Amino acid sequence: MLPDELREALEKQIAHVDHPRELVVDAMLALQDHYGYLSDEAVEQTAAMLGMSALEVEELSTFYTFIYREPVGKYVIHVCDSLICWMDGFESIKNYLCQKLDIEVGGTSADGLFTLLPVCCIGYCDRAPAMLINRKVYGPLTPGKIDQILEKLRSEA
Amino acid sequence: MPKIIIDDRDIEVAPGTKVIEAAEQLGIMIPRFCYHPALGSVGACRVCAVKFLQGPFKGVQMSCMVDAQDDMVVSTTDEEAVAFRKSVIEWLMLHHPHDCPVCDAGGHCLLQDMTVSGGHGIRRYPGKKRTYHDQYLGPLIQHEMNRCIHCYRCSRFYQEFNGYRDLGAMQSANQTYFGRFEEGILESPFSGNLIDICPTGVYTDKPSRYFGRRWDYERSPSLCINCSLGCHTIASSRYRKVVRQEARLNEAINGHFICDRGRYGFSYNSLKQRPRTALFDGQTASIDEGLAVLKQRLQAIVDTDGSAAIACAGSSRNSLETLAMIKRVSQARSWQPPAYLIDDAITAKVKTAISVLDPDLAVEMREIESADFVAVLGADPLNEAPMLALALRQAQRKGATIAVFDPRPVCLPCEFTHLPADPDAIHTGFGAVINTALDAAVVDKLDAPAREFYSSLAAGEQTFTFQQTEIDTLAEKLKTCQRPVMVCGTEIVSRQTPALAADCAALLQAAGKAAGLFYVMPGTNAFAAGLLTDENVSVETLITAIEQGSVKALILVECNPLWQFPDRQRIEQALQKLELLAVTDYVNSEVVPKANIFLPTTTLYESGGIYINQEGRVQVVEPAYRGGIPIAETGNGDHPPRIYDSQIPGVEPQAAWQILAQLIDIGQQINANDLRTDIQHWLIKSESGFNQLPGLAQIPPLGTRFFQAPNSQKHFECQQPNGGSTDDGRLEVLVTERTFGTEELSAYSACLQELANAPCICMHSSDAQQLNLNDGDQVALELNGGVIEARLQVVENMAPAMLIIPRDGKLNWQQMETGQTRIRRDQIRKVE
Amino acid sequence: METYPQILLENRKPDHINTLAEYEQNGGYEGLKATLQQHSESDIIQMIDESNLLGRGGAAFPTGFKLKTVATDAPLPRYIVCNADEMEPGTFKDRVLIHTNPHMMIEGIIIAGYSIKAEKGIIFIRPEYESGAKILERELKLAEKAGYLGKNILGSNYALEIVVHRSGGRYICGEVTAQLNALMGKRPNPMQPPPYPTEKGLWDLPTVLSNVETFAYMPHIIRHGPDWFKDLATTDTGAGTKIFCISGKVNQPGAYELPMGIRLSEIINEYAGGMLNGAEFKACLPGGASTGFLPKEHYNIEMDFESLKKVGNRLGTGAIMVFDQHTCLVDATLNLTEFFARESCGWCTPCREGLPYIRDLLARIENGDGEQDFIPILEDMGKQLWSAYCAYAPGAVAPLQSLLRHFREEVEAHIHQKACPFK
Ligand SMILES: Cc1cc2nc3c(=O)[nH]c(=O)nc-3n(C[C@H](O)[C@H](O)[C@H](O)COP(=O)(O)O)c2cc1C
Ligand code: SF4
Ligand code: FES
Repeated sequence: MLPDELREALEKQIAHVDHPRELVVDAMLALQDHYGYLSDEAVEQTAAMLGMSALEVEELSTFYTFIYREPVGKYVIHVCDSLICWMDGFESIKNYLCQKLDIEVGGTSADGLFTLLPVCCIGYCDRAPAMLINRKVYGPLTPGKIDQILEKLRSEA
Repeated sequence: MPKIIIDDRDIEVAPGTKVIEAAEQLGIMIPRFCYHPALGSVGACRVCAVKFLQGPFKGVQMSCMVDAQDDMVVSTTDEEAVAFRKSVIEWLMLHHPHDCPVCDAGGHCLLQDMTVSGGHGIRRYPGKKRTYHDQYLGPLIQHEMNRCIHCYRCSRFYQEFNGYRDLGAMQSANQTYFGRFEEGILESPFSGNLIDICPTGVYTDKPSRYFGRRWDYERSPSLCINCSLGCHTIASSRYRKVVRQEARLNEAINGHFICDRGRYGFSYNSLKQRPRTALFDGQTASIDEGLAVLKQRLQAIVDTDGSAAIACAGSSRNSLETLAMIKRVSQARSWQPPAYLIDDAITAKVKTAISVLDPDLAVEMREIESADFVAVLGADPLNEAPMLALALRQAQRKGATIAVFDPRPVCLPCEFTHLPADPDAIHTGFGAVINTALDAAVVDKLDAPAREFYSSLAAGEQTFTFQQTEIDTLAEKLKTCQRPVMVCGTEIVSRQTPALAADCAALLQAAGKAAGLFYVMPGTNAFAAGLLTDENVSVETLITAIEQGSVKALILVECNPLWQFPDRQRIEQALQKLELLAVTDYVNSEVVPKANIFLPTTTLYESGGIYINQEGRVQVVEPAYRGGIPIAETGNGDHPPRIYDSQIPGVEPQAAWQILAQLIDIGQQINANDLRTDIQHWLIKSESGFNQLPGLAQIPPLGTRFFQAPNSQKHFECQQPNGGSTDDGRLEVLVTERTFGTEELSAYSACLQELANAPCICMHSSDAQQLNLNDGDQVALELNGGVIEARLQVVENMAPAMLIIPRDGKLNWQQMETGQTRIRRDQIRKVE
Repeated sequence: METYPQILLENRKPDHINTLAEYEQNGGYEGLKATLQQHSESDIIQMIDESNLLGRGGAAFPTGFKLKTVATDAPLPRYIVCNADEMEPGTFKDRVLIHTNPHMMIEGIIIAGYSIKAEKGIIFIRPEYESGAKILERELKLAEKAGYLGKNILGSNYALEIVVHRSGGRYICGEVTAQLNALMGKRPNPMQPPPYPTEKGLWDLPTVLSNVETFAYMPHIIRHGPDWFKDLATTDTGAGTKIFCISGKVNQPGAYELPMGIRLSEIINEYAGGMLNGAEFKACLPGGASTGFLPKEHYNIEMDFESLKKVGNRLGTGAIMVFDQHTCLVDATLNLTEFFARESCGWCTPCREGLPYIRDLLARIENGDGEQDFIPILEDMGKQLWSAYCAYAPGAVAPLQSLLRHFREEVEAHIHQKACPFK
């Protein structure tokens, strides 16, 4: 169930625009933040709020990289695997993360905290190798830095 | 008009013609996947590449995306273009499962054709193939995503053309997936078109799965007889069974598509329980024996009660030949005038519609697509004539205003304004719109009768429940439109409405608009039936005659009053009272077991026939196959059958008109074809309504229209009825059609039965509230004839003080006394 | 090291976002004042046209010309869209601009909006730039408070509202027409014109879409005039400055504002701190992932749109990605192709199916399973992808085509040695 507060906030936003559909990404991101991922139920709720069909929302939810249609951890780690980060050590950063979190790429750590996903260039080539965690950037990465970051996030969780 | 040279040949084409279309006009078929004439160009598949040698474009370009322009020189055979097209095919085949041997699209697969013609034979790509999971999409369509080439035709047809929103493109890149959000039955009643439109085998026909390849089938141009529109189809048969039906392109009626009722409504033809032998008094007999007994018993009745004690009834599913033969025999034998339609009101409305539909007003269904204002008066397109709904959608997509004046909870796959008027207020509502829309200056210039009619429209300001603002908004649209069309139903409307609809159209025409008129009628051959029937003759009047004892013998020719007549008790009693009930039919209807004598007839697919659709279009259908019992039945599953015979088993049934002809002793002397010609001659000679009927050979494949009203002179004669009903607190009962489940022939199709919603009774929320009822409640209507029980559906979008009951075979709705249209609120109760 | 004028990145300080007050102190919103008080809509378009400002989003489309194509009698409302999607690998200049001086681009959007009578402005931003989106939202509010946005801007009759639209994240959303679809809540497939967005864009209404950097120049052009802008370039063919993003095997990767037409060698040696220790320049991608490898022979090339076009390459977004003698360019092309295959929208056949095909062959070559036959196939595919639906695919094969043109021996060495020579 969607909390009334969130629903009302979204409905207010929707009432403000000419074409409800233009808010579909915002709505999906908001529901995803609430549920942790965009569940089937959330797809249907998004559709209902915007006067779309579930399929029409699904056409978009499955298109965008930052919409998760499957459960993810509290922190989604997006490691950049595009050219510059790849040259500057993506492979070892990825391996280090896999080993530290004891997961494979695409997996979620046993404590449910971290999901590791590769992502294309995040626009921080000047800080390669870089990664995003919940849309916040970190880089240039070293194993030491990664340890610190994970430590901090774990303690905050 | 742009002139263009393609492959060294010039052609002049209409402005806006795409190069791919210009080439087609020259007979050059440029490969295509995403382009489809009904869906237009989107340039996604890239297989229509050609080389532009001269003109405003240069180099390899998509011929579907470029308008033909002057000075263009195009080559379809240029090396560079051919090489590119070959690459496109190679890409499209990278992941194709190469399962053509088990694919039902094999043999009529555009991808196969393009792969072969594009010269891609040897696989070079060493990589792995992508695979997808398929979805369950309901009983009509099999989904096989691995065959997909991502032309986007399905999602574009489904969402853009057809207006439904539960199938589309998901994922992206080379994972793009076409399907539904969740597995399940497709919502659109036009979903079967996905099968025709898919250029490969992603969507294939499920009921006929694995039955054969296109080249195995006898394919024959045919006609849909599941509603009055008469859409064109192709019937495929194999092993003495019609197994599949597809849409057949027709620029006047259905375009490229048909509805699912039409596509799958043919199962009755090959059902196991189809009666194929004559019966009398419960004994099987040959047709000749049956006929002999029939003649003998009819003679006995003539001897005791006179020939007027015999009556014959047909129905709007009869072919024109049968309808005519019923009349001819009845006249020759001095029986009662035959009945074709169910009651007097329907008969009167159909006859009126025919008499006022003149060539100046009548429009074809495809013309509705280019209307800019459509007023739907007492018709529920999706339920009564589904393809009409699709035509309305195309009009709306081009900007037309669609206004529906109808009490029912009408749904359309497009935006429209619904004014839920009760049947008596339909024309007052629309009249008010016209009255507001026309300028005084325009009105002043009209002839006196038109002016008078115009002023009568203002008088009807009584009881429609919608707002004046809605009337004003529509009037504003009507005022500026150029090509308005009135679509008028003949079922639920009051008797005057069909004529008033014509008057409205005529008035708008007089006021300078290119107005059109389009009727929807009850049944595929209702137009012809209406022309042949006498005023005040219907199944209802025959029943009265039986009750009064004046009719003692009844012959039902492909007519099942038990399906349609609202007072079941009455009709059952009447049938029982008869001394002789003879039935001839090709379906095992409920009256068959009640018959003293039964004679089996053939279907459209076996004997063909002439059908006249609701716009007066005469269409000839040739038989699709020879007939007989399906091999699956005779061989008990074995093939080939082990018993050999010189005669095809099960071909004894004859066309109803052939059987009837024998009652006046002309049937035996002449062969079937000559008999058809003979019937035509008789019609032309004896029936004034048919003296313009073209000879069989003169009827072109598109059919030909013939009109009763030669010009507009008859308009403006109809009196405005009193609008609205007096409110006595009772609810008016409307028994109506549904897309699936109420039309008699398609109701035999198992796959469509799966689609039919459980029948429910609709009521406006204000009435439900008053009665303390909720949506989903099981309710019982206690009627004089018995109780109707069903789930209640509470809706907002219908007229209040009404009950809408579907004429669904699964609901025993026929509990109404004749003439009873209103029930008291205390007759409705909730079933706990 | 010469110091060139800093136009966009003036007052750039580490980890500091110029406030509205700071921006105003340095002449911020003067261009807008001049616009509203002294110039007609057509004056503005005229000035921008004369400045030879070419769009900085990668396609180098003349900005003035684009503004001109909005017919004066076109329907209202009209939209002005700022493309802050910046998904081209190697490119991060828009991010730097947003984090340095957000009001500069805002002012530019308002000026451009005024010139086409737009009522609604939208900044389309990628989800990776969430911090940027927050900055923009905050600063837009301040700008409105200060009277630069909203109704009656600076007492003129002009009204404009600007909102930030977050993307769900996908490279193709940077392409104009795909972005318009994304903004309308549709699948972000591109749409081939006609109609052009300036005629029928968002909701079928006239829409002008430009890049962040492009907008950021506008206030300066209004304040200092078109000739001043043209003269900023070191070449006759270029105009203005350009923010070059340098990454890869250099000592100081980053974004540097330099004159259009500056030599590549100067950028690398002087501003990017030279090649890394022990690294030798082998090639670079001069303008993002969808440009071709620029071999060493062009190390001294003048970096403007024209000069790169002359050598069969593109300046693109000005994102220079530098490779040294140890970089395997087959592997680099494989990485880039992987990116493009993954990010393809899936609308048209060549891109959707052709890129994974290329990726497969390149992966085989890189892994030592390559065959000589693959080379003509790759050449063929590279050529055929130019006939895809949108500009994505031609960009996507730029690395491949330049690899085969300039570094064919490297590809062949992989095939002959049945292994990557760099591993
Ligand atoms: C595949 C593709 C991706 C693009 N991505 C971006 C982008 O992220 N940001 C951008 O400003 N322009 C991008 N463009 C260019 C835009 O289509 C468009 O030309 C540009 O935003 C217009 O602004 P400008 O005239 O200021 O350059 C892309 C183009 C293509 C074909
Ligand atoms: S080239 Fe085709 S598939 Fe690729 S991004 Fe453009 S439209 Fe989409
Ligand atoms: S038919 Fe032209 S691109 Fe598909």
